[in-house]
Amino acid sequence: MAYDRKQGQHQVAQSSRPDYRVEVGHAEVPVGAPRSFIVLDPARAATLTGWTATLIPSGGRRPDAGSVGAAEYIDATVHLVPALRPALLHGIDEVERLALSKTGRAFTECSADEREDVLRQFQAADDTDAFNMVSDFTYEAYYGHPTVLAALEAENGWRGTAPMSPSVITPFDQSQLERVRTLPRRYRAVDAGKGVKA
Amino acid sequence: MNRQPGADVLVIGSGAAGAALCKRLSEKGAKVICLEQGDWIDRTRLPKAHVDWEVRGRRHWAAKPNVRRWAGDYPVASEGADPVDVYMYNAVGGSQVGFAGNYWRMAPSDFRVRTLDGVAADWPFDYEELAPYYAINEAEVGVAGLAGDPCGPPRPPLPNPPAPIGRPGQLLVNAYEKLGWYWWPTEQSITTADYRGRPACTNMGWCTFGCTQGSLSTADLTYWPGALENGVELRTNARVREIILGQDGRALGARYYDKDGVIREAHAAVTVVACGGLGTPRLLLMSTSATHPNGLANSSGLVGKNLMVHVQSFATGLFDEPVEGWHGTWGGTVSTRQFYETDPARDYVRGFIMSGCVGWSALNLALQIAPWGSGHHKAFDEHINHEISLYLCGEDLPEETNRVELDWTHLDGFGMPGVVTHHELNENSHRLGRDMIAHARQVLEAAGAKSVRDAGLAPIWGWHLLGTARMGDDPQTSVADRFNRAHDVPNLFIADSSSMPTSAGVNPSATIQALALRCADHIWDLRREWSSTG
Repeated sequence: MAYDRKQGQHQVAQSSRPDYRVEVGHAEVPVGAPRSFIVLDPARAATLTGWTATLIPSGGRRPDAGSVGAAEYIDATVHLVPALRPALLHGIDEVERLALSKTGRAFTECSADEREDVLRQFQAADDTDAFNMVSDFTYEAYYGHPTVLAALEAENGWRGTAPMSPSVITPFDQSQLERVRTLPRRYRAVDAGKGVKA
Repeated sequence: MNRQPGADVLVIGSGAAGAALCKRLSEKGAKVICLEQGDWIDRTRLPKAHVDWEVRGRRHWAAKPNVRRWAGDYPVASEGADPVDVYMYNAVGGSQVGFAGNYWRMAPSDFRVRTLDGVAADWPFDYEELAPYYAINEAEVGVAGLAGDPCGPPRPPLPNPPAPIGRPGQLLVNAYEKLGWYWWPTEQSITTADYRGRPACTNMGWCTFGCTQGSLSTADLTYWPGALENGVELRTNARVREIILGQDGRALGARYYDKDGVIREAHAAVTVVACGGLGTPRLLLMSTSATHPNGLANSSGLVGKNLMVHVQSFATGLFDEPVEGWHGTWGGTVSTRQFYETDPARDYVRGFIMSGCVGWSALNLALQIAPWGSGHHKAFDEHINHEISLYLCGEDLPEETNRVELDWTHLDGFGMPGVVTHHELNENSHRLGRDMIAHARQVLEAAGAKSVRDAGLAPIWGWHLLGTARMGDDPQTSVADRFNRAHDVPNLFIADSSSMPTSAGVNPSATIQALALRCADHIWDLRREWSSTG
């Protein structure tokens, strides 16, 4: 897919491989719906779950991303877009390889700090876009989840479900325009077919 | 070939312009057929009908046609030093189905850019000629706002009161008052009171993700119900391949593939192209023939040239206090045209607006500022509900090198070409953009922001795709005349964003629809010239 290109920090497609940012348009995966893994085997599913939980760990009332189904969401997405499966499988296997070489243990058996180190190493060397893909999809699965939105509202008042619920805002107070109404005209009036009016 | 009975007017495209044309002409008594390559929006699939609305906005509802890839979409490539990130929808209602509702009139000086500032082109008519159509359109769609803005000519009261500005808007009001600048509540294409069968806005926010209750005035909800009631025949999933000509050189109508992929023709006395800034040049360039080898209506060579997209950015201020940015209209609270007119003291011509928004939604914000890992929540919590944004929009001057061309390497589902855009900001736009961002920072700091970040001038947001079949009096330097009639084909009209000779520095939807209404009246005035059809 070569329709888009990179501009500044706005990363889009490269022609050499399918770009997840472009390919996901037909992958409608409702966030938070009950689902189990389809594409990933249990071992890789466990690694991906740990990966997503490391990207967004728990904090306060907010759960970690792994426990709200981010890995299952990613799995469901690549199920609908098979072209993205190779990058995901490569990424998971590479994370496991790095974990083993750095700690001698499986990624899921590493401490939180070790997992973060492994992922930072993988991110730094990743030229497949797998890290960015998993990261973006994890953020989607997290910030679209009703449990997370409820926790956000409880903790800082942000109502992520506002689009489903009407609210009241004080009508605009026109008296605030008192000063502006007294200002001189600020546009150039134009004589028809000619220049600016005096 | 399946030929179908003719009409008085064939309108190609059912978006902001096409919808207005169809209703206006049909209420005068014209028999109108409209071909739309997309379909009606399934309102149950609007992102905001679902709790994961932000995610749906990145997938099924994505504004980029290359991501969304609905059946009516065609490939869009982007090239040039400042490539355009194209955002558009192919559906009944066109790209309005995903717009925010910012709804501006252009200023009188916007119609005289060459005369006043020595650059670009003049429009072939003045503000006063379009003003009545602005007013008609504002009544049709139920615009919310307040007359009396000293940055524009006097005008009648608007149909609906301004939207509530909330805490974000109040912070900006405080800043503008502190700076002594002009400001005004932003006009928005939103029914803030019950209006013509549509309900009052209830502040659910994030308007571009689809207004589930229908207070956002998109063309599928404003013009189309009346047009259909008047008898307009709307054919959806109709992918037009070419405009067809008779032996006399007049347009006969269009050849298109119907929803089943069957080739058909639609005939009419008058044909109107209203496919938008990319779709219109695409169709004209596809409509080649022995007499028009370079595309229809293209004797000037300007079809597809002079693509304008606006110089745009966002600046976002971070505040200590919560801003209640989770509700309220997204597209605008209060705005300023303090820097809209050319000022000889500045190092560029033309100007810009700054329009206050409520801030960023959770997912969007997290992707911007919250790094993954152990610091994620701390960074996120510092910003969420503590930011307001200014949308910045400045004039992008026309350049012939900024253009749309057919892309025969990427085809749509019917073997028709995609398009490739080429775009580079000129030096004036760079200077304007830098000044625009600097002043936005000034406003946010005056509002009390403890820090400000901005989006720079990249990517080039392709929400406003303008100028690619521009109107003018001279057939050598324009594609259509002052009434949107193609110079080369007497019964062919080009009536959409592509016909705008310059971009002004404001969102174009109101102007596009006013132009369409004016064009419709002209077509009706010429009805005695309509030939027999079919």
